[in-house]
Amino acid sequence: MSTPVASTRAGWRLLWSVLRRQRRGLIVGVLVGLAWSAGKVAVPRLTRSAVDRAVIGNGSLLFWSGLIAIAAVIAGVFAGWRRLVAFRESRLTETMLREQIFEHIMRLHVGYHDRTQTGQLMSRASSDLLQIQGFVVMIPITTSQLAMVVAVVVVLLTSQPLLALVALAPLPLVNLLAQRFSRSIHPAVLAVQAEQAQLATVVEESVAGVRVVKGFGAEGVQAAKLRVEADDIQRESLQAARIRSNFLPALDLLPNLGLIAVLGIGGHRVLDGTMSLGQMIEFLQYIALLVYPLRNLGMTVAFAQRAAAALLRVDEVLSAVPEVVDPAVPQRLPEQRPNGAVHFADVRFGYDPAAPVLDGFELDIAPGTSVALVGETASGKSTVARLLARFYDVQAGSVSIDGVDVRSLTLGDLRRAVGIVFEDTFLFNDSVSGNIAFARPDAALADIESAARLAGAHDFITALPEGYDTQIGERGFSLSGGQRQRIAIARAILADPRVLVLDDATSAVDPSKEHEIREAMTTVMEGRTTIVIAHRAGTIALADRVVLVDGGRVAASGTHDELLASSSRYREVLAALEAEVDDDDLPTVKGVG
Amino acid sequence: MYSAVVSDEDRLDRNQTRNVVRRSLEFAAPYRTTVWKAIAYVTIVTLCTVAGPVLVLVATDHGLLDPNAKVLNLCVIAYLVVVGVSYIASRLQYLAINQAGEGFLRDLRVRVFDRLQAQSMAFFDRNKAGVLVARMTADIESMAELIQWGLLQFVSALLLLAVTLVVMAATSWQLLLAVMLILPVVIAASVRFQRQSHQAYLDVRDKVGQNLSTLQESIAGVRVIQAYHREGEQTRRFFGTNRSLYGSHLHAVRISVWYFGFIEFVGVFAVALMVGVGGWLAHRGSVSEGTVVAFVLLLSNLFDPIQQLSQLYNTVQSAGASLHKLYGIIDAEPDVGEHPQAVALPRTGVLEAHDLSFRYQGAERRALAHVALRIEPGERLALVGPTGAGKSTLAKLLSRLYDPTDGFVTFGDIDLRVASLASLRERVVVVPQEGFLFGGTVLDNIRVARPDATDDEVAAALASIGVLERFEELPEGLRTEVRERGSRLSSGERQLVSLARAALVDPAVLVLDEATSNLDPGTEAVVERALEYLMSGRTVIVVAHRLSTVRRADRIAVVDHARLVEYGSHDELMTLGGRYAALTEAWLKAQPVAPPSADPT
Repeated sequence: MSTPVASTRAGWRLLWSVLRRQRRGLIVGVLVGLAWSAGKVAVPRLTRSAVDRAVIGNGSLLFWSGLIAIAAVIAGVFAGWRRLVAFRESRLTETMLREQIFEHIMRLHVGYHDRTQTGQLMSRASSDLLQIQGFVVMIPITTSQLAMVVAVVVVLLTSQPLLALVALAPLPLVNLLAQRFSRSIHPAVLAVQAEQAQLATVVEESVAGVRVVKGFGAEGVQAAKLRVEADDIQRESLQAARIRSNFLPALDLLPNLGLIAVLGIGGHRVLDGTMSLGQMIEFLQYIALLVYPLRNLGMTVAFAQRAAAALLRVDEVLSAVPEVVDPAVPQRLPEQRPNGAVHFADVRFGYDPAAPVLDGFELDIAPGTSVALVGETASGKSTVARLLARFYDVQAGSVSIDGVDVRSLTLGDLRRAVGIVFEDTFLFNDSVSGNIAFARPDAALADIESAARLAGAHDFITALPEGYDTQIGERGFSLSGGQRQRIAIARAILADPRVLVLDDATSAVDPSKEHEIREAMTTVMEGRTTIVIAHRAGTIALADRVVLVDGGRVAASGTHDELLASSSRYREVLAALEAEVDDDDLPTVKGVG
Repeated sequence: MYSAVVSDEDRLDRNQTRNVVRRSLEFAAPYRTTVWKAIAYVTIVTLCTVAGPVLVLVATDHGLLDPNAKVLNLCVIAYLVVVGVSYIASRLQYLAINQAGEGFLRDLRVRVFDRLQAQSMAFFDRNKAGVLVARMTADIESMAELIQWGLLQFVSALLLLAVTLVVMAATSWQLLLAVMLILPVVIAASVRFQRQSHQAYLDVRDKVGQNLSTLQESIAGVRVIQAYHREGEQTRRFFGTNRSLYGSHLHAVRISVWYFGFIEFVGVFAVALMVGVGGWLAHRGSVSEGTVVAFVLLLSNLFDPIQQLSQLYNTVQSAGASLHKLYGIIDAEPDVGEHPQAVALPRTGVLEAHDLSFRYQGAERRALAHVALRIEPGERLALVGPTGAGKSTLAKLLSRLYDPTDGFVTFGDIDLRVASLASLRERVVVVPQEGFLFGGTVLDNIRVARPDATDDEVAAALASIGVLERFEELPEGLRTEVRERGSRLSSGERQLVSLARAALVDPAVLVLDEATSNLDPGTEAVVERALEYLMSGRTVIVVAHRLSTVRRADRIAVVDHARLVEYGSHDELMTLGGRYAALTEAWLKAQPVAPPSADPT
């Protein structure tokens, strides 16, 4: 890992590269902001002249108020324009960065995603970007406010240096206080949010676990937990309120001290005749004009610090290097029939390289045949599928399809050749047909239907409220585990892969429906190279050949009957898988009593 | 922050508004004194805010234009005092309003949660979990924002507006008329802006939601996306929703650009107007020059509050809508409540269903019709039947997670509806399909079932199902935090926790919903064994999905199409050759691989 300083620099470099893309818009924003400051700074000056020459004196009222009105138009137009540019550019920064993050995330290898929580990546692409957006929006606004502050201070110092010094004296304090406020309220707000999150956890678990709560009458336990969290929120919120009460009234009232100084000192000068009434009003207006910019400038510092931290986190994601990428000179899969030969040659692989899951793994699968991988939990049988589809790369040895090393293929070619039905079915928030046609969005409805038929899904799909157009996924119509699985199988079939991997396609299925899935799978497997990763005894029967994975390598291979006869280890593993079927060795009521 | 906005259908009508205000006053009653204090402080601060320009006016008219150093000095001192008073009152108002507000929110959280917990299972089946959680979180938090600064701003903006108008009217009605030329335009613009921006905001909120869910779905499904090489396609899809979000943002900005530009213009233009009209009036001698100066200084006290009020309008509205929903929850009477003359259930007895019928709320057909059953103490009953036939519903009625629509359930001849809830939960325990874990340690998790149990009693419960050692081997034994990374319990261990809870209660009747999905083979056997220990000597009702479980039951009830169609022992029902016999045959067919024998031949 790099040092904090170096990585902060990396964060700023990222921001700089983004801002450079938008330099034209941002420069316009700054110029527009400067025009606004000019208009605003002119107003008190014009008011002074108007009061001295036209209200008290005999100058033309229409002329002077006309001039102020012109300043009003300038301030209005440029304030609006500045806002437009500032928000447009900052939203553009946010939008483009989000696209950059998304594109990168999609390319990152599965190993990265296995290590990283979804929520983390989500907050990179949402809340962190909001922090950055909040900073970019300040760029035109801050520069114009800064310009205004400088201009006002110069004007005041040149006209009445001493009075200016006295009147401006409290104002740096406003800036300082605003900075300190922003810095101390931020952790307090975070603390409140943390407590709110804890309360949310209690509520979530009480709702999600309502069966346990009701079943045991545990309402009181949860109610007590909630009271603790509600009290915590109250305490932290009051702490935040205390911080606000320490800063906000002072921030509001400090500028008044400047005004009082002007009234006191300036008033006596007016009485002495060394200053006009108009000048005094000018001073009062200028002081009032400075309050908001100074407060904002103080906040901007804190904003920038938060944005820097967010940038750092975003940069960390963007600088993660995808480890599984297309080869420089890709090869093509041979066009031959039959195809789908799979060869694992002396493969070694471990998620932690020091503790290999597979070591010296050898497996040869002839085109069009099927193999069931059997092994204990964590024996590495699911890893085989991950290596075949190059979710991970082997650490030694090679994996090849039809004689071509998977690392010599483009990812597109490889993944078109390998179709995986995952253990935990993932469906998208889309229609049934959209989900089946995921790999081939342009597939004809007839093709989608025939894939669904093969997967044994057609009948229940047509019984859904809107048939193939029914929306499914997390926010749609909820399907049973078996139905989801069959849609996933149909999805794999439609992709028409050379090699099909079924990672225990029956585990989430209502046992009474299991045979239906099994029938569907038998049809699908016909004439296609298939690897079945069997977590359950029933699935083994589907395959032509059974391979026992044990100790990181192929321990035995043959038909189910052959292995039953020859391998005692196979019988052991199978017995463990069969535990739920065979109940003879479990104690019965009488046996325990 | 996006979740708290009201949509148009959320807007309250007059009656609802009145009800929300009335209920809120009730809830705020304990904080009455603090609220009155807060109002007093806000009034003081507002008066001080207006006093500043008024003192400048007095100083100008009577100290400068009519030279008098004493008046000037008095005004300066008075202004200092005003600032001092304002500072103190301002600090106190923050504290008071937050004390009352946070207390109000705390009470609201507790009362809403208590009422949620008192609701029956039927309530939780009807209402989506996400919505209930949102009520307790997003809805209440949206009000926290209002309380932290909104309420204060709302009240002080209103007061400031009123007091400033009164002062202006008292000083010069002519100049006030001039102000009145612009004020309505500002109000109209603010109202228009509020409406437009609200629509734009709702649109942005929707787009943010869509964008986030595409994002979330893509990250969660990245393995599938990569497996089918759809990265490019998915990225293009995301760019689509992302650009449409950008479009909504731009639309919202354009609306605000017009408004804020206009407000900036009016603020300065009003100065021009005061100078022009005020100067003219001063020349005619109808107003003093000091008055003109004071009006110029007072202008910001008029325009700022209007802006603030228009921005606060939405916050207040959304808080109103949230409160309306929350009071709705508090007002919902629990449908499985305790009978006023509740009696305790006997230690043991016959569990009997008398002509039970049940219809889910809103459902057309009955989920269960005319079911009668009698389960002797210590008997094991398996409920079998196709998915959706009503077997789970029957189990829920037998444990009074629901009350039947018709008929009744007795335990030891006492109707469950007149049994005290405490004794009911001690006698009848439902073990859910999946072992659900709460935050906390293993001990805490088991103790959920009986909060007063000692550590030893929990350990004894674990020992009674034969798994104490397994949990003692965890990194920190029974004190291991179950949700911490690295010490996550397997699904089998979670089930064991669930069984230990039941063992801790030591009930007479166990209701089990057998898991449909499978555990890893290693734990499966341990769970089965623990279950056997737990079931021994108790009445057991199991919703069965597996033949092996059914075989072990004393009697079997076959439920189909909401009715009890067959009832008897395995052998009896096999001889009957009806529904159960057919089901058994299907089950056997689904197991094509013969169980391996220890000695293959």
